[in-house]
Amino acid sequence: MENESISTALENALKKFQEKNNQVPEGYFDQFEQQLMRRVQGEASAPKKATIFAIIGQQKKYLVAASLLFAIVTGYLFLNTTANNTSPMTQVETIEIETLPDEIIESYVNNNELIAELEWNTAIENTAASVSLNNN
Amino acid sequence: MTDQALIYQFQQGETKEQSFTQLLKRHQEAVFFQIKKMVLDHADADDIAQAVWIKVWNKLDGFKHESAFSTWLFRVAYNETLNFIAQKKRIQEQSGQKELKDNIQLSSSQESIKESNIQIKLERAIAELPEKQRFVFMLRYFEAYDYEKIAAITGTTIGGAKANYHQAVKKMTELIQND
Repeated sequence: MENESISTALENALKKFQEKNNQVPEGYFDQFEQQLMRRVQGEASAPKKATIFAIIGQQKKYLVAASLLFAIVTGYLFLNTTANNTSPMTQVETIEIETLPDEIIESYVNNNELIAELEWNTAIENTAASVSLNNN
Repeated sequence: MTDQALIYQFQQGETKEQSFTQLLKRHQEAVFFQIKKMVLDHADADDIAQAVWIKVWNKLDGFKHESAFSTWLFRVAYNETLNFIAQKKRIQEQSGQKELKDNIQLSSSQESIKESNIQIKLERAIAELPEKQRFVFMLRYFEAYDYEKIAAITGTTIGGAKANYHQAVKKMTELIQND
């Protein structure tokens, strides 16, 4: 037995140590039981706190479905927004041309008419020259 | 009624509280005094014991009767005590407070009129033991548990438990004689 190898001095000290540490206030264990049972009953009646991992584990299917739905909706909204963003620009251009006063349009045409006529004449001359060369 | 029968009743859920109370009445003193000898403070021992029994209440449904209930119970107590001590050490380190052994020295010196010098030395020696050695020693010396059970409680081998016990005795003897 291990206790036999312990010195008498240590054994006596351990005996006193046990006496000292095996003391509790009167009625302590009854109070302890009552306190504990109150806590236990409180825990039993309280709704259990679910951890985020537990929720993920339980609702996996719904979370996957929700993620897919979110991706689809986000994609649709993104594409729709891009399409909407382009149309106002075209509208702005159209509106700007339509709202231009006639005088400005006429002056633009008159100014550019000469250039257009010159370009047109040059093109005719070039075509005529190539035709005569072919005939010869 | 045996512990096993009470646990079966608890697990069936019919007389859950009564079964638990019976188990509590049967084992609470042994568990409390074991914890008290580890932490040497009544309030700390009370906190740990509460935590132990709350854990027992929460985990008893999953108890598989692979060991005796008392072994499982003391294993819970062992883990809770070690967690508490580690947590307290961390807090004391962070706040720059004195360690457990210094507190014991202080409390012992306050009661030094009543206690013999050897008693103060013993408390200091116990506080200086590593937690596992302390737990093994208390179970073996005061509860007279066999090494197989101690090994199961502390998660070590029988040889390891024996070594822990002898180391504890050796250190305590040295500290008492030399200090």
